[in-house]
This record gives sequence, C-alpha cells and structure tokens, in this order.
Amino acid sequence: MEWWVWLIIVVVVLAALVGGFLAVQARRRSGGVIIDDKSRRKGGGSS
Amino acid sequence: MSTLLRASELAKLPVVTFAGEAVGQIKDIVYAADGGQVNAFTLAGRGLFAGPLNTAVPWKDVVGLGPDAMVIESEKVVVPTGDVLAPATTSSGGGGNVLRSRVLTDQGTALGVVNDVIIGIAGQGAQADVIGYEIEPAETLGRGRQRLLIPLPDTLAASGENLVVPAAASQYLTDDLARFGSVVDSFRSQLSAPTGAASNNPAQRSAAPTSAAGQ
Repeated sequence: MEWWVWLIIVVVVLAALVGGFLAVQARRRSGGVIIDDKSRRKGGGSS
Repeated sequence: MSTLLRASELAKLPVVTFAGEAVGQIKDIVYAADGGQVNAFTLAGRGLFAGPLNTAVPWKDVVGLGPDAMVIESEKVVVPTGDVLAPATTSSGGGGNVLRSRVLTDQGTALGVVNDVIIGIAGQGAQADVIGYEIEPAETLGRGRQRLLIPLPDTLAASGENLVVPAAASQYLTDDLARFGSVVDSFRSQLSAPTGAASNNPAQRSAAPTSAAGQ
C-alpha cells in the first residue's frame, strides 16, 4: 500500500483511541444525584 | 427556603480547604432515601486523567457552598465513599442515580423523566433538602418539551428507577425556579391538610418504591 494510506489508517486509529478515552473519562467523571438507602437498610429509616 | 439550587449547578464545583488546597471536585450529590436530606458529596479528581476518588465530604463538614466552590475546613473531613454510601450505589456504578429516572404519580400516570434535582438550603449552616425534580414532561401531559419543576412532599421517600409522587403534585408543575419555593410550600400545605385530596396521606403513599420491572 501507498505510504499515505498507512498514514490515514494511523491517524484514524489514533483519533478513535483518543475519542474513546475522552468518552470513558467523561462517563467516569460525570456526576449524579444518588439516593442513599443505607440508613433505611440499617433500620434507621422512618418511612 | 432561602436558596434553591439545581444539582447540576453543584456538579464539578471544586472542593477547596481553608488552606487553599483543592482536594477534588464534586461528582455526586448523595441524599437520604427517607427524608430527602442531602447527606454528602462524592468527589472526583481534577484534570483530564483523573477519575472518581472514592472519597466523600459529609454535608455537616461543608463550611461554605458558593457558585464557584465548596469550602471545607481541611482534608481531614474527607471520608471514604463507603462511609456515606452503599458500595454498589454510585452514578457510574449503576443504581441509585435518580437522573433519567421516570416520575410516576401514585395513580400510575407518567409525568416525565428526571433531568435535574432541585435542592433547597434554608440558610447558612442549615440542612439542605431535595425539594423537587426538574423533569422533561411526558407527552401525555401536553406541556410541550419545556422542562418543568415538580414539588416533592417533605416526607419524601424514593428508591428504584421509578420515582413515585403524589398525584396532587401534577397540579403544581411550574417552569419558574424563582417561584418554586412558594409552590413547594403550597403543595406541602395541601398534603398536610387534614381533609380533601390529602385525606389518604399521599405523602406516605408516595413512599412506596417501585422496581425497574415496569420499564
């Protein structure tokens, strides 16, 4: 294959890896609002 | 309620000590299943490569909470996440996260999907409580795509992927956060009234959690 074909393949693979990493990081760091059921399971809940 | 905040306004705020050290940023807001009190904030690291820190700051140790940062006394108040939250319950670990959960009335009508959570803080050093949800309304409501605020009873209990609210809450939907505090007060007054629509104590009936089976 021509050298520029390899270049395109490498660029595409790198872009996919970087995009995947950023997506995973965004998911890991994304916040939420969490219900804490701990007190109820310990019998500390009132309702 | 003197201050109303959207949970999304708190996410990613830096957590700073009196010494000026940034110990992380807010990741999750943890509130009690029974009562709705905000108990703690879990932390994530700062920077591109950082992930969750598996640490948390209890609400009682928060000295200040402003638009640009949350201030704590020192790094000593930071505790392991397991001290404030069940291990399997994290927003990225599945379970417990109310965002994207479906809101149902206790009569089985879908009101929409939770897009954000409204937190009321009574004053400096006071308890913070979850007082309402911001929802993307269901088509059956006929309210278009505009996001609406729905008040919650003060005896809130919630669990699972469906959040059940009293049917009367659907009469108090509003899109105005500035007025939402008085809307919540009116709604709770109606629920605590001895007669009328609240006669069967819908606040308590709302406590019944539902499973994901209906999804």
